[in-house]
Amino acid sequence: MSDTERYHKQRIAGELEEPVSEARELAERLGLEPYPVNYWIVDHDEMNELIAYGGFQSRYPHWRWGMGYDRQRKQDRYTGGKAFEIVNNDNPSHAFLQESNTLADQKAVITHVEAHADFFAKNEWFGLFTGAREDAGAVDAAATLERHARAIDEYMADPEIDRAEVERWIDHCLSLEDNIDQHRAFSRRLDLEGGVELEDDLAEKLDDLGLSEEVRGEVFDDEWLAAIEEDGDRPNVPAEPEKDLLGFLREHGKAYDEEAGKAVEMSEWQRDVLDMLRTEAYYFAPQKMTKVMNEGWASYWESTMMADEGFADDDEFLTYADHMSKVLGSGGLNPYSLGLALWEYVENVTNRREVLERLLRVEGISWRTLEDVVDFGAVLEHLEPPETLSALPTDDLDAVAALPDRWIDDEGVAAARTGEIDAERYPWKLLTYEGLARRNYSLVRPQHRGFLRRVSQNELERIGRYLFDDARYGSVEEALADVEYTAGWDRLFDVRESHNDVTFLDQFLTDEFVAENDFFAYEYSRATGQYHVSSTDPADVKRKLLLQFTNFGKPTIAVYDGNYNNAGELLLGHQYNGVALDLEQAAATVQRVFELWGRPVNLLTIVPEVDEHDLEVARRQNREPEPEERGKRLRYDGEEVVVEDVPWEEVEGLAADDVDYDTKPEEWLA
Amino acid sequence: MGLRDDVERFREVGEARRQDLADFIRYGDLGGGRRDGIEIPVKIVSLPEFEYDQRDRGGVGQGDGGTPDVGQPVGQPQPQPGDDGDGEEPGEEGGEHEYYEMDPEEFARELDEELGLDLEPKGKRVIEEKEGPFTDLTRSGPDSTLDFERMFKEGLKRKLSMEFDEAFLEEICAVEGITPREVFEYARGESMPVSMAAVEELYAGTERGRWPSIEAVEENVERESVGARIRREGIGHVPFRREDERYRYPEIVEEREKNVVVVNIRDVSGSMREKKRELVERTFTPLDWYLQGKYDNAEFRYVAHDADAWEVDREEFFGIRSGGGTRISSAYELAVEILEEYPWSEWNRYVFAAGDSENSSNDTEKRVIPLIEEIPANLHAYVETQPSGNAINATHAEELERRFGEDDDVAVAYVNDEEDVTDAIYEILSTEEGADE
Repeated sequence: MSDTERYHKQRIAGELEEPVSEARELAERLGLEPYPVNYWIVDHDEMNELIAYGGFQSRYPHWRWGMGYDRQRKQDRYTGGKAFEIVNNDNPSHAFLQESNTLADQKAVITHVEAHADFFAKNEWFGLFTGAREDAGAVDAAATLERHARAIDEYMADPEIDRAEVERWIDHCLSLEDNIDQHRAFSRRLDLEGGVELEDDLAEKLDDLGLSEEVRGEVFDDEWLAAIEEDGDRPNVPAEPEKDLLGFLREHGKAYDEEAGKAVEMSEWQRDVLDMLRTEAYYFAPQKMTKVMNEGWASYWESTMMADEGFADDDEFLTYADHMSKVLGSGGLNPYSLGLALWEYVENVTNRREVLERLLRVEGISWRTLEDVVDFGAVLEHLEPPETLSALPTDDLDAVAALPDRWIDDEGVAAARTGEIDAERYPWKLLTYEGLARRNYSLVRPQHRGFLRRVSQNELERIGRYLFDDARYGSVEEALADVEYTAGWDRLFDVRESHNDVTFLDQFLTDEFVAENDFFAYEYSRATGQYHVSSTDPADVKRKLLLQFTNFGKPTIAVYDGNYNNAGELLLGHQYNGVALDLEQAAATVQRVFELWGRPVNLLTIVPEVDEHDLEVARRQNREPEPEERGKRLRYDGEEVVVEDVPWEEVEGLAADDVDYDTKPEEWLA
Repeated sequence: MGLRDDVERFREVGEARRQDLADFIRYGDLGGGRRDGIEIPVKIVSLPEFEYDQRDRGGVGQGDGGTPDVGQPVGQPQPQPGDDGDGEEPGEEGGEHEYYEMDPEEFARELDEELGLDLEPKGKRVIEEKEGPFTDLTRSGPDSTLDFERMFKEGLKRKLSMEFDEAFLEEICAVEGITPREVFEYARGESMPVSMAAVEELYAGTERGRWPSIEAVEENVERESVGARIRREGIGHVPFRREDERYRYPEIVEEREKNVVVVNIRDVSGSMREKKRELVERTFTPLDWYLQGKYDNAEFRYVAHDADAWEVDREEFFGIRSGGGTRISSAYELAVEILEEYPWSEWNRYVFAAGDSENSSNDTEKRVIPLIEEIPANLHAYVETQPSGNAINATHAEELERRFGEDDDVAVAYVNDEEDVTDAIYEILSTEEGADE
């Protein structure tokens, strides 16, 4: 880097020091608990590199980064280069700001990043990667990836090892990068060393090892013993179907030796590379599992901080609003807008419930009568924050000090009086979490004003019926005086802790939401050769949407047997949920698995088939043919992939009986 | 290690050369007549994964104000929120290619690389005279343009020519009985740059009798060259003279604009069916882009013809169809008229024609060939599209080939299916390149 460049970056960095520290203070005041974030100023090329590397400065050598970079550059050349935000999940997190961004963009990125860093730190799914470790707080991501990069680079440089061989091996592993058990806490080893001799008195033997109770409890628990004993001398038969293909192959797989024509033990570098790539798959899994939540979360707080708390200066606000509308406006179902809409929904619905619970306790109001008796307009008026609060910033600090204590940060007010803080610029410094919640109360915002009124009779009934009658109010005013204005935000924080995209959408994508946004499900018709609307029923739409998120939007494949046919063959099963596998890709993938198993690989699946004749008849009658579900086995023995029909009994166990993602109606095209 | 390496590796994956570009020419969507941007498929390599069958998966869409009715077709699936937007898993829509936009210049560069061409377009019309580098010299000018280096060299040369071996001449002055005149004449005879006055001064300071004769001096006193003396004594004073001053001034360079006009001619008669029309578009469009990218200023004119010819817009050009017979010369007659607007002295000209080689009898021989010879152009090309094999009366291309042979500025190419397009483009462009040399 030349001196000029360095000075340029330093200047920008200097300019951003205040926004960075103020954003952190505001974020914490709003209740976020982000990891510490280190911000870096990078130029355009560096940004492209970081994007290609998934937010890190070094990754193992592989063409996929090259592909990403190539595309990033080309895209960027023709779209003019946008304000990107990139932040990685690490403690401390590292965020990268592009030097060419305007100050407004930088501020937006910073507020967005703070919320991501909070999500990384507090969401339990991210905890799965770090949780099993002693130092659960340390993610150690950059260092780990850097270590992987160096190790793989060394293997490639090793004259004893063919570089192309390493590249191929990486490709094989990457084919299975989503075939892990992302709902399980990550540990380096799936099981014990595959070659451990099993003895009848295993429990005794363990005692002899003199392991601490802790270790025994963690690793060699009774369940494990039971499983081992049940399998006898076949440790490579999982007791339960094993979703972690990479883990299973790491423990029990062999490499295929072309020359010898048989399976051989994986060499050290092969197992090591597999191990590293599996670790990376586990590291990145939470991000893939929470994309909608995480992006929505960051957009929500970015907007609260930038727009509602005036983090953007007046002249920056337009730039910001324009940027935001572009991000959110690109299609109704992008993760940003879907996520943001759902978070707002969670907030509104919680606040509404809080208000309704209070109202339903008013003498003379029941869920049957509420809508007739209560004047929603008057209620909303009552819910408006006091003038002093909404009018901030103000120079009337006495008026602020007169607000209820729990809203006011006394120290802040005192500091503002002495001019120590700039309350004009940062009015939120005068307020507590409660005060900010009151000021930003969702139900009275212009865009949500109708939300309270839109409550359905059903929901009213549900709230009313389960209400504890512990307190009664004499009047509506009295009831509203007790409303907890932090209810919405409190709920947001709970949800961000425990949910992932699947549970998030499942719980909060309501019928109301589906209907309001005109969502519909569509399916492919074999009869017409195109896609048709299959349903507008919210339940169907939701199911179809969840299919995109469940298991990374991929079919679930598990190891069923590591000694299939009693010949050391691998048996995989596709857990069928009404949607067929892409057989062509499956065949290609099975060939990759073969490379990691060393012996023939089988995959059982269910395929809905329609024969030509039925299709022709259906076409003529303008209806959709009814496919017949058949069991199939793909087998690859190192030479060719053979697909065979198998009796239904063999695949029966694979068919899910509780979910079916097929939304085709009975009478569809007619 | 590093991204550059990764990019290199990516380029090599699966293929050594930019197969994607050739693919595009064969299969790419030609996306209408946009001239400012070209959609080029980029190579996407995706590793196989266990995935759902794209069709069986279905999806979720969003209605545009109200939900559509069940059963209503929805066209192409919308991008799904679960799809990775960040490029982690490209090619999910089942295709091998993703598109990015290229400008024509980049396209031309890539095509040159792909086909191994290096067509340097000729500049024609002079659009401006602008200042080139400061290489010419004049005797006066602003101080900043003074060519000091030159002045120093001139001064040095002068100094060298004026310096003489004073010590040696002094010895000559000491020869018994020599007169100043004799010394001067001797010095001049030895090409010493010395004046009579200087000799007299030297003579006055010397006593005669040290040497019996000039020959004795020459034999006993070593002369020292000027170069050796400068090295010994340093350069001392270099006399700068006004007459050595030279000022640099810029050379006037004529900037010639690279203009090109392309006349695209297409047979739209009844025999040109859908498939043939498409092949013409697939061949002409990249050619147009190529030339667009190569020249500063490109104009395109489109001529449709059956038995008569008329000019059309690009939008119509590839789609139009008429019933009549075929007389190819009608198009060339119109081309002559059009090209009057683009004088050969100022414009590069390309005349590309395409059709199925059917022509009315004798027209090729009697009319078209003379017209082609008469129209000055960088390149004439005829693209025969005959997807169903040769028809008996389709001899236009053959006749042209017979007449113009290999080494002229007339190219004939045959496109029978999409596979031939790249070759045809190469054939056409390399004909011009060959003609250049």
